[in-house]
Amino acid sequence: MIQVQNLRFSYTKQPFIENMNFEVQNGEIFGFLGPSGAGKSTLQKILTGLLTAYAGSAIVNGSEVKSHDNGFYENIGVDFEFPSLYEKLTARENLRFFASLYKQHQAIDPLLDNVGLLPDADKKVADFSKGMKTRLNFIKALLHDPVLLFLDEPTSGLDPSNARRLKDIILQEKAKGKTILLTTHNMYDATELCDRVAFIVDGRLRALDTPRNLIMSRGASQVRYTFALDGREVHAEIPLDRTGGDDVLQRLVRENRLLSIHSSEPTLNDIFVELTGRRLQ
Amino acid sequence: MKPLIRSFALFVKQIFSDSMLATICIATVLAACFIRFGIPLIEIVLCSYFEREAILADYYLLFDLLLALVTPYMICFASAMMMLTEYDENMASYLAVTPVGKRGYILSRLVFPAGIAFAVSIVLMRWFSLTEWPLGMIPLICLLTCLLSVAVALLLFSFSHNRVEGVAMGKLSGLLMLGLPAPFFLPSDVQYLFSPLPSFWFAKLCMERNVIFLLPALLSALLWIGLLSKKFIRKIA
Repeated sequence: MIQVQNLRFSYTKQPFIENMNFEVQNGEIFGFLGPSGAGKSTLQKILTGLLTAYAGSAIVNGSEVKSHDNGFYENIGVDFEFPSLYEKLTARENLRFFASLYKQHQAIDPLLDNVGLLPDADKKVADFSKGMKTRLNFIKALLHDPVLLFLDEPTSGLDPSNARRLKDIILQEKAKGKTILLTTHNMYDATELCDRVAFIVDGRLRALDTPRNLIMSRGASQVRYTFALDGREVHAEIPLDRTGGDDVLQRLVRENRLLSIHSSEPTLNDIFVELTGRRLQ
Repeated sequence: MKPLIRSFALFVKQIFSDSMLATICIATVLAACFIRFGIPLIEIVLCSYFEREAILADYYLLFDLLLALVTPYMICFASAMMMLTEYDENMASYLAVTPVGKRGYILSRLVFPAGIAFAVSIVLMRWFSLTEWPLGMIPLICLLTCLLSVAVALLLFSFSHNRVEGVAMGKLSGLLMLGLPAPFFLPSDVQYLFSPLPSFWFAKLCMERNVIFLLPALLSALLWIGLLSKKFIRKIA
């Protein structure tokens, strides 16, 4: 669906994106992770045709982005991080207008219902809360049932229940065979949703793999436990895959002497910090 | 074409739902009425009071030029204000990733309004001008003033972050009109200080009735558009 080769881009004389190479397969959820200013949004702007002064090649849905035709956007849905909605229009009027720009589109009410906005469909967007605007902005990208979705921080500013609702819709879209590019600095969303993630720092791709492989690359999860010995609390730690050989732990379990036990898995954030020396959030 | 027309239709609807911008658009007709009927009336009063044959009549061509410029200027100003509103709502870059596209956005926000301004200013010049205009001169001067107005819209949008700044910039952009009176009031060598302003060449073209002035008039307007369009395109990306 997307092939990027030797992609370079610069806003000034200083290179901003350098020699980026990756491919995104059909039906995949591909995540871009990186701190603010890393180049994620710029990359999304290049892939959506907003920035065309790039060097190298960026092929999206069979078209070189810088020379795309008018039909290019019929198959692409974009959800920017910040809502782009006509504030003076109602939610329904907004969706009706955007739907009218495409050759075909989905019914509006079921989409509104999916994100819990049907009761507010005739309210002006200016009166919406931030979360409501985020949800409306999200379904705007789905209106024309595109094969490729660019989602930039889709759950940003949402309460957990609405974030869950949007993530479920993203997974439903994937199940329908859609390809989704998710730009985020939320490692939990990326771990849960993405088939593969790319770490971007300072305009460069630092790592690209499945979340599981990236996490496993740091080694197995650790099991930490505490127990009492001679009146004091002792802490011990062992890799998860070696617990069977830990005689102390076995004995403590048998004798019910454990004070606490828990596993600690590395997160994408840990991997990110390890690989780049920077934090995601 | 359908997305473009839909997008332009909503744009016009948005302009007319905004009382300030709607007033600006209607003001072009009011300004034309004032020039056509108010100025000759004032001339009669002034001539009678000062007991002279002509006071303002010598400058009727200047009023006509003002009429030719004010119509596209006002329409393009309203257009730039609405673009700034859309920019605030992140709409400029969003429409660029729909079938409207970046080119469609530029067409529907700059070229279509300028086209309408061109037609309206021809009509107003035909019916409300104070002097006789040779055949073909009215469309020519209206085309030039529309090009300058597009440059003004580019200036307002590119250098303002919001409508408040846009209004302030709009006042400043009025300086671009200063070229119009220069050939009427300044000695021939001093007046060329205003030569970077396209409006100066518009006035020269109409005063001298010499097509040689068409070239600098056209080139200076296109130069302003060229210089400002890069920043404009960067802003909508």
